[in-house]
This record gives sequence, structure tokens and C-alpha cells, in this order.
Amino acid sequence: MSSQSQAAPAVLGVGILGAGPVTQAIHLPSLSRLQDILEVRHIMDVDPAVAESVANRVGAAFSTSLDELLADPSVDVVAICSPHQFHAAQVIAACRAGKKAVLCEKPFAMSGDEAASISAVSAETRVPIIVGAMHTFDPGWLAAEAAWGDLPEQVHTIRSSIVLPLNPRFEDFASEIVGRTPMPARDNTDPEVIKALLTGGVMGLAIHDLPLVRRFTSDFAAVEVLHAEIVKPFGYVISLRAGHVTIELRAAMNSTWEPSWVLEAIGDDTSLSIDFTPSYVHAGSAIARIMTSRTTTVLGPFGHNGYEGEWRKLAEVARGIGTAPSADTLIHDLEFALAIAEAATARVDDQATTRQEATV
Amino acid sequence: MTAQLSVQADADAEAAGAVAAVVSSLPVSLKPADAAADLVAIAGSTGWTGRAGAAIRHGAKGVVVVSPQAEDAVALAAVAKENGAAVVLDQQWAGNPVLAETQKDVRDLLAGSVAEAVLVDSVAYAAAGSDATALLTEHLAAILKCGIEVSGWKSVQRTPHGYVVAGRLSNGAPLSLHGILTSSEPATAKVAILTASGRADVVLPDPSAAWPAQVRTVTADGAKTLPSLYETAHRHAWTRLRDQLLSGIPGSDLEHFAALTATVRQLTD
Repeated sequence: MSSQSQAAPAVLGVGILGAGPVTQAIHLPSLSRLQDILEVRHIMDVDPAVAESVANRVGAAFSTSLDELLADPSVDVVAICSPHQFHAAQVIAACRAGKKAVLCEKPFAMSGDEAASISAVSAETRVPIIVGAMHTFDPGWLAAEAAWGDLPEQVHTIRSSIVLPLNPRFEDFASEIVGRTPMPARDNTDPEVIKALLTGGVMGLAIHDLPLVRRFTSDFAAVEVLHAEIVKPFGYVISLRAGHVTIELRAAMNSTWEPSWVLEAIGDDTSLSIDFTPSYVHAGSAIARIMTSRTTTVLGPFGHNGYEGEWRKLAEVARGIGTAPSADTLIHDLEFALAIAEAATARVDDQATTRQEATV
Repeated sequence: MTAQLSVQADADAEAAGAVAAVVSSLPVSLKPADAAADLVAIAGSTGWTGRAGAAIRHGAKGVVVVSPQAEDAVALAAVAKENGAAVVLDQQWAGNPVLAETQKDVRDLLAGSVAEAVLVDSVAYAAAGSDATALLTEHLAAILKCGIEVSGWKSVQRTPHGYVVAGRLSNGAPLSLHGILTSSEPATAKVAILTASGRADVVLPDPSAAWPAQVRTVTADGAKTLPSLYETAHRHAWTRLRDQLLSGIPGSDLEHFAALTATVRQLTD
């Protein structure tokens, strides 16, 4: 046994690109629970008032410039929480700036080409990247993964069912939001609006669960969307097939107070049902149930959720004591989501054509 | 005191409908018989309409059909009417007493929720290896019994492990029925009616035991669970048959079954 005392690892400095509601209501509260390992040191937002307000909450520097944040030597790890279209360029810039690790909100890119570019830069710079697919870091999910045995080989049906209040309800429980942007009015009968809503539903909501769905879907590249429509005011019903696996995606966001977020993976003899806690509030982990005809094994709840889990993981990989998901995993997760979004929007045109033919 | 009605069940009906257990739970109204009974239970496998008609022609006053498969019941309805006999369908979820017309609170809750629905999402489970069409028949029966009127039925997919069916409510909202064959879940039907501000949920249990159905609603004011009824769909079928015979008021099971059969055929042909 060594006689040398073990020094506590240095706290890692965090820089955050984008200071909107997700940063304010999810990441800052998560980081406030992890002050022994992570410290927010720089907040960047294109709105200087928002950047200053949010930075002042945590005693961090602020700026409106990506370059300024990346040049800040106190920033060890970078979290990218900007609008989706900026993710790829900012991930690449953070890698090239020589940071220790990058956390990018999902989706980390909006095309396969962008994903490949990120992968190449990550490999070249050796900067690990974690995508903020928080459910994959949820202790309830991880406990299920360790316990489910041969479930992935026998799963033939997957259901993701999400019912949530609109985000401000939980944002306001978690923080005091500045700079909130109101939802724009839209015509939900316009096919282009419907397509945009479906794309937004897949890339903004379903994407939380799609990496988990893919865990049970070896033929994920063979995805075929069979039916897709929107739910008012916001949500979707999407039926798809990937190889021999039936995948049903449901979501409804409305003015309910009761959230429900359930993922089911079902085989002939065994199934997994996992209840996730709502985003924004720190209500602990998911509870997983692994069921057979005779038994139900309950795993969880554990004391923290997947957002805290992803920050813990980021700190580990930045210190070189943990392994980030492989580039292939991240790229395949993204390709899976993009393929579903693209095929779902194509169904809108197919269904409109079918309706027109039926009325002729 | 009303005379007891004697009951005879074929082997398949006994296995599927727990007839002996039901008769023993209605000891004043019913008694078992070996043959020439007042009431007959038959299994709802292919050809059930013919077997039920034959039983009536042989003198049965009433017939309970356990888990009837989609089949044209027009001729049977005529035989029953001609002989003054009653036919009751013992459907595992639609027959749950919580969905009875007499359950006014449930009916009102469902009607109000369906009128405001933005999505109806329903899942039904049956054991791995079961007949998916039989599951679809029971599933659709439960949906119709919930008072959910649907148009534009479409079969989205059928696989060896189940089916997905889509439709549209009268207010234009989407409906999805998902049937799943797995032995990891009990034979349960779940109906979730999502509205703009809440939801109503009905969970209909396997009638092999007296697990109660669950009816719950969420509104802006909170959540409410309606009272539980510890009676199986099987027993409720027999009490309905008894009541029809005592009152002389015929039921409408066969009439409703015609619409169900037409929809099942549309979705499976």
C-alpha cells in the first residue's frame, strides 16, 4: 500500500456554448450538484444580456463569441447547447482548440457528412466526444443493461411513449429562465408544417430514446417508416420497422401536469419497461422493470438522472479514466434518427397522394 | 324465488371461460348440469354461430359464447329471435363489467375524453404463439365497447409478433392499435385517450382471475381513479344472460358483433 496520499483530482473548468433554457434549467442545475468535479467558468450566447445573466448566476466569465470561449485557458471541457444547425461546426472547433472533452447536445450533427467530419476530427485530435443522449447515461437504464441477459437477441417489438407538458412547466420548477423564445404560431394542416413538425419531433424528442431503441435493433440501417402523422398541438405517431423489429413511436406534448415517458422492449419471453423521469427536474433516475411470465425485476430508482450521468461521464473521459462512446456508435445513432425523420416526412407526401387518389 | 337455471359447457368453453367457477359464484341463479341444460356455454372458435344455433334448436334458452371469433352471426340472431333465446358474448376485455352501460361514471368519462381526444393509443397483449387475428378481434371489441367511433381503418403492419392498425376518430384525431404477442405480459388491453390537457386510461385485465379493470383520468384539477369492480368478464357475461332471460329484454351483443366482424375482415383480408 502506498504511503503517498491521493490528491483529489483538479476540478475541471466547463465552458458552455448557448445559454438558452436547456443550459439554464438542465445543465446548470446538474453542474451545481457536481461542484467537486466540475466548475462552470465561461458562458457564451449570441444574446449578450442572456450570456451575462446566466454567467453571473455561477460566477463565470461570459462572451458572445465562440472563439473567445475556446481561447479561455480556464475552460477544460466544452458543452455545446446551441441550436442544432451550429452543433457540427462548434464540435469541430472545440476539438481543434485542444479541449479535454466535448459534450454536444443531441443531435450532434444534422447530416451523415457532418457526422463523418466530426468523427475524423475527433480521431485526429484525440478529443473525446459525448453526445447528450441523457437516457443512455441514466442509472436506471444502465442497471437494466447490466441485468437483461439475452433480451436484445429476442426483442421483436419496441414502443417509445412520451407524454409531457410543454417545456416551460418544468423549466420553471428548475430555474428562472431569461431569454425564453415564444412558440411561433403555425398552420398544422400545411404539409410543409407537418413535415417540419415530424422532423422536429424525431430530431428533438424521439432522439432521446433512439440510441436506446437501436440497442435492440441490429438491422437499424434497414429502417422503413410505414405510417407517420402528427398529434396536436405537438407530437407524433410513427410506425416503423427495422429488420424484423417493429418500432412504435408515440409522443404528445400538451398542457397536462402529469408526465409519462416509457420505453418498452418486448420479446417472446422477456420484456423491459423503463419509466424515465421528466427532463429539467432532478427527480432521480428511471425505474426499469424486466419481466418474464413469472417474475418482475425492478431496478432503481437511483439518486441522479441521465443529465447528471452524462456530466459525470464527461469528467471521467476528460481525465482519461473513462471511455467515450465510439465514433461508430455516435454516427450510427445519428444516421438512424436522420433516416427515420427523412422517411417519416416522405410518408406525409405518400399519405397526401393516397388521400387525393381516394377522392378522385 | 326464481328457479335456478341449469348450465352445461363444452370442454373448450369450460377451459376458456372458467364456467364451473362462474356457476359456483352464482349459486342461487345457476347450477351445473351434464346435459339438456337451460343454458349452454360454447367456445368461440370457427363455426361457433352454427353450434350456438344448434344448441338453441335443441332447447337451450340461452347461450354464452366464450371469445367469439369474427364470423357472420345474422343466421344465429334469427334463430335466437325465432326461439326466444338469448345469446351473450363473453369477450375478455369488452365484457369487463367496468364497461357496462350501467357504469354511468365510466361511460361519461370515456365519452367526454373521446370527444376531446388528440390521440387514442391502445396496446393489447396476448401470449407468444397466440392467433393475432383473435387478439385483434378482442382488441377491437374493447375499443368499440369504450364508445370510440373510428373511421379510415388501415392495417399498418402484421408480423408474426402482432399487428399495428391505424384509424381516425370522428374529431379527426389519430388512433393506433398495437397488438403484441409476448408471454412476458399478462393478457391485458390498455386504452390511453390523450386530450389537450390530460388523459383517460382504461386497463382491462385478463379475466382468468378477478383482477379489476382500472379507469383513471387526469385533468387540470388532478387525477381520479374510479371504483374497482372485482368481477371477471366471464361472470359478468353470465349475469347479463340471466338478467336478459329474467327481464325478457333481449341484448344487443350479436348486433354489435356484426360491425366488429366487418372491421376485422377489412383489416385482415
